[in-house]
Amino acid sequence: MTRAIWKGHLLIGEHEVPVKLYSAVEDRKVHFRLLHEKDSAPVEQHIVRKDTGKEVAKEDRRKAYPLTRDTAVILQPEDLESLEPPASREIHLCRFVASTLLSDQWYDRPYYLGPDGDEDDYFAFAEALSNKKLVGIARWVMRKKRYLGALHLNDGYLMMSTLRRAEQVLSFSNIEVAKANAPQESELKLAEQLVSSISGDFEPELWQDEHRKRVQELIDAKLRGAKITPLKRKPKPREASLADALKASLAQAREKKVA
Amino acid sequence: MPKRSNGASRHDGNGSESAGSPAPVRSFWSGTITFGLVSIPVDLFSGTRPRQTSMKMVDKEGHALGREYHCSKEGRKLKQDDLVRGYETESGEVVVITDEEFESVAPEMSRDIELRRFVPFAQIPPFYYQRPYFLAPAGRSAKAYNLLAMTMERTGQVAIGAFVMRGQEYLVAILADNGVLRAETLRYADEIRTPDVIGLPKKKKAAAKKVQQFAKAIEALKSRSLDVSELEDRQAEALQQLAEDKQTRGEGVIKTRGLEEEDADAQGAEIVDLMEVLRKSLAKNAVVTTASNTPSPGQAARPARSAGHERGGKRASAVRRAKSKASAEEDLAQSSKNELMKMASELDIAGRSKMDKRELVSAIRRAS
Repeated sequence: MTRAIWKGHLLIGEHEVPVKLYSAVEDRKVHFRLLHEKDSAPVEQHIVRKDTGKEVAKEDRRKAYPLTRDTAVILQPEDLESLEPPASREIHLCRFVASTLLSDQWYDRPYYLGPDGDEDDYFAFAEALSNKKLVGIARWVMRKKRYLGALHLNDGYLMMSTLRRAEQVLSFSNIEVAKANAPQESELKLAEQLVSSISGDFEPELWQDEHRKRVQELIDAKLRGAKITPLKRKPKPREASLADALKASLAQAREKKVA
Repeated sequence: MPKRSNGASRHDGNGSESAGSPAPVRSFWSGTITFGLVSIPVDLFSGTRPRQTSMKMVDKEGHALGREYHCSKEGRKLKQDDLVRGYETESGEVVVITDEEFESVAPEMSRDIELRRFVPFAQIPPFYYQRPYFLAPAGRSAKAYNLLAMTMERTGQVAIGAFVMRGQEYLVAILADNGVLRAETLRYADEIRTPDVIGLPKKKKAAAKKVQQFAKAIEALKSRSLDVSELEDRQAEALQQLAEDKQTRGEGVIKTRGLEEEDADAQGAEIVDLMEVLRKSLAKNAVVTTASNTPSPGQAARPARSAGHERGGKRASAVRRAKSKASAEEDLAQSSKNELMKMASELDIAGRSKMDKRELVSAIRRAS
């Protein structure tokens, strides 16, 4: 069971659906503390004045907003308060669009929405949305901050992914490949064969965080007092021409399939 | 391996990094994409502009503030070299993991992205998307780079791989976007909770009449396009306005020299002129725009970042680097050319002035 982090209600036109918000992400990172190497004592972070080195208490710190290359404006607590959006429990669905209109670059963090009380409306809305293959663009205010999100589905449940802002998302155009760097048709054909020889479905369970596992093993070994022998690196393969490398790769891929 | 000097300034702000390179451009990671036996050396850059709201840290009078690490026992200030990773078990036992041990965990992954499988992009659910980066060809890899990009565009597939950056492994989808290769880091399956784990109630069959009502409501809000005005950062706009008003009134205006980022995570999120990277490595006419089509914050709205930030953020980012303790190997690949030149001269590597970044990295690896 995971605890809800917020409660609100979806506003879809005249309809309201009360929901609870849950983080969809589980933190699996191996967390370290910074220690002083000499005595293994934990390290403390101090915020100090750069010119005097004196520590500055939290209530005496301010934020400065940079306006130009070399000027900034100090913001007082009341300035920041004046910018706080009015508190609200409403999640406004602004519009519904084809999911293909939002590229991967927009998506930030996913949350589940679960029903808060009435389950009928929740599942009716989820079903209606799943039939349409659309995502909802939503805005809401949570803990004094404005959020932008995409409402979609996972396994029949509503999910809200926060989105990056228009100013952050980049797109490219007019990329014209210089002639000297253009691959030949024969190379493209080989590359396509190579792609199809190692193509398949997206099966995320297949891929696990090897590094995390090895770090955990290292920690466990040290806890047992075992001696650690560092892993050796593999030598790099020799460079070959693009066409030769493609042919050799294809041969390798075929061998693997037979084996 | 020579240790990077703490807070060494590498760029002079005007970006005269080396002959013919107009902007200080630093990648997060440099390595090689391996596609069968084809290798494509690439540099990895942030694929988003930072939000405008990342602010600087000052005291009430506007004096510059900085972060320091102190030993909780001795109470004195520590240098980067004095710090080490500690892992605390549930029973409170602490294990020290040295840099050497940490770095030896997955050495090959800190320089290679091996493409393991090609999949249709539409199969990847959006909650797997974590963070976008973009990849630029490094050295003389433009042809192999174009080959991969064109092949993916033709087949409509993206490649799944993994690599280690800053002491962490990332699952990644490499995709082609208008001739440019992008990397979207993905969450691992075990990082995504299931409805069951959350404890959501069992699915229920909804009454057809209710479904219909909601379908109508959705239909009424359906639109063929995105409205960019709905996707802009209103908080940032309001903040910019407030700051400008204060400036007009002459209230609390200070010089930014030496100021550090207020948000520790924002440090080191250096602005890269993507256009410049693309122009140099790929195409003359490359155009990079943000979805809102406003001048990108790095260029117009926030010129302070490209120069002042570069200098002011240095010590902080060195400390942060110590915190994340990226492998020395990876650090090397992430170093700027100036930094590498400095190391090369310390190691007295012959012919260093004629070497490009990649050659410098391998020469330093051999020499140290």
